[in-house]
Amino acid sequence: MGKPELLELLAFHLGPLHIGATVLTTWLLMAVLTGLAGFGTRNLSVQTPSSLQTALEGAVLALQSAIADAAPGHAAQLLPFIGTLWLFIAAANLMGLAPGLRSPTGDLSLTVALALLVFVSVHWFGIRIDGLRAYLRHYLDPNPILLPFHLLGEITRTLALAVRLFGNMMSLEMAALLVLLVAGFLAPVPILMLHIVEALVQAYIFGMLALVYVAGSLQSHELSKRTD
Amino acid sequence: MAFDWTTFALEGINFLVLVWLLKRFFYRPVLAVIEARRAETAKTIADAEAVRGAAEGLKSEYQKRLADVDQERAAAKSRLDEEIAAGRVLRLAALEAELATERKRRETLEARERSEREAALERRAIGIAARFATRLLEKVAGPALDAKLADLALSDLDNQPAEKLEALRAALREAGGSIKVVSAYPLDAARQAAFTQSLGKLAGRTLAPEFSEDALLEAGVCVMAGSWVLMANLRDELNFFSETFDHGG
Repeated sequence: MGKPELLELLAFHLGPLHIGATVLTTWLLMAVLTGLAGFGTRNLSVQTPSSLQTALEGAVLALQSAIADAAPGHAAQLLPFIGTLWLFIAAANLMGLAPGLRSPTGDLSLTVALALLVFVSVHWFGIRIDGLRAYLRHYLDPNPILLPFHLLGEITRTLALAVRLFGNMMSLEMAALLVLLVAGFLAPVPILMLHIVEALVQAYIFGMLALVYVAGSLQSHELSKRTD
Repeated sequence: MAFDWTTFALEGINFLVLVWLLKRFFYRPVLAVIEARRAETAKTIADAEAVRGAAEGLKSEYQKRLADVDQERAAAKSRLDEEIAAGRVLRLAALEAELATERKRRETLEARERSEREAALERRAIGIAARFATRLLEKVAGPALDAKLADLALSDLDNQPAEKLEALRAALREAGGSIKVVSAYPLDAARQAAFTQSLGKLAGRTLAPEFSEDALLEAGVCVMAGSWVLMANLRDELNFFSETFDHGG
């Protein structure tokens, strides 16, 4: 059950690979974001910044500041990954408002992929900063008995990350569709307004949780270094 | 919606590509321009600090120059005050000297004016006294006074100093027989004889003086022998008295 989707009609197979609506929507989204980025940064000026440039600089500085609050000293390193998570998820969530399109974040395949990337990135940044041996050793702290719980926590929080976003976005679209079917043409408008808020909040939550996980791994390494 | 492994894999790849694309086309250029602006702002601040430092230096130098100028001005003012004080002393001394000279000249002038005023007052008083004496003597003039004055003239003829007696004798010799004895009232015979005897004694020969009367004499006699005149009458004595004091006494 779902609303009619325009890009579903364009789905195709590339050998054994099925290129579905979610992937096509993501590509469209990537094109739009990259195009906007290219358009916004084509005439950057140090002396006389335009209004658009000022807005873009403000957005980047806000992202950098938020990351620096959670992971001081690693803002420049984390900005591309965490900032792209926020921008991508927010844009993907809001895409469901466009007629004929569906939020790709309502697809569990995408949210699991993002959650897995967050999982990998947490370890990637941790190992990159302090080395594999020192990073893995923090799983044994404060006691090796806690290792299974550490591993369980890693898996569950990744799973929760994926399911939370998927469930919220899918249920939101489902609710809007149900209200449309039951109440009529203009009735789901408040639900759509809620969709905007929910889309931004979910993007913020996903990106902030990813940031907290990554910052947690960085700080745990710094703590273990101080202990040593 | 069912889980699709292809979508899962492609979405992972898509997101990584998007990270790279946004890093390449969004974050890096924007961060670069922010960094450039920060650098420029830092440079501007550094330039401003340098300019401020230079301005502070100029300000301190200017204040030092101002202080020097103030000191020079104070010194010049002090010198000027001293010069003014010295000039004032000199001018006061010159003024004092000038005032002293002027005061002296004024005192001299006042003394002269005072003496002139006193002389004028004296002359006026003498004139008043002469007029008073003239009026008084005019009132008391008469034959008795005339006789007394004639006796006085006779006595003067006998008691003249030697040099005057010599001049009188020379005059009597020059006059020859023209000797006049004028009186205000007619002389009695005894007095006429006494005048004739005295004059003859002086001349050393017998003389015959001409006796006459002139009421203008008021009282007394006037003996005329050539250029020599013996005045013993009120009119001539009063005139002599007045003229003597009119000419400075």
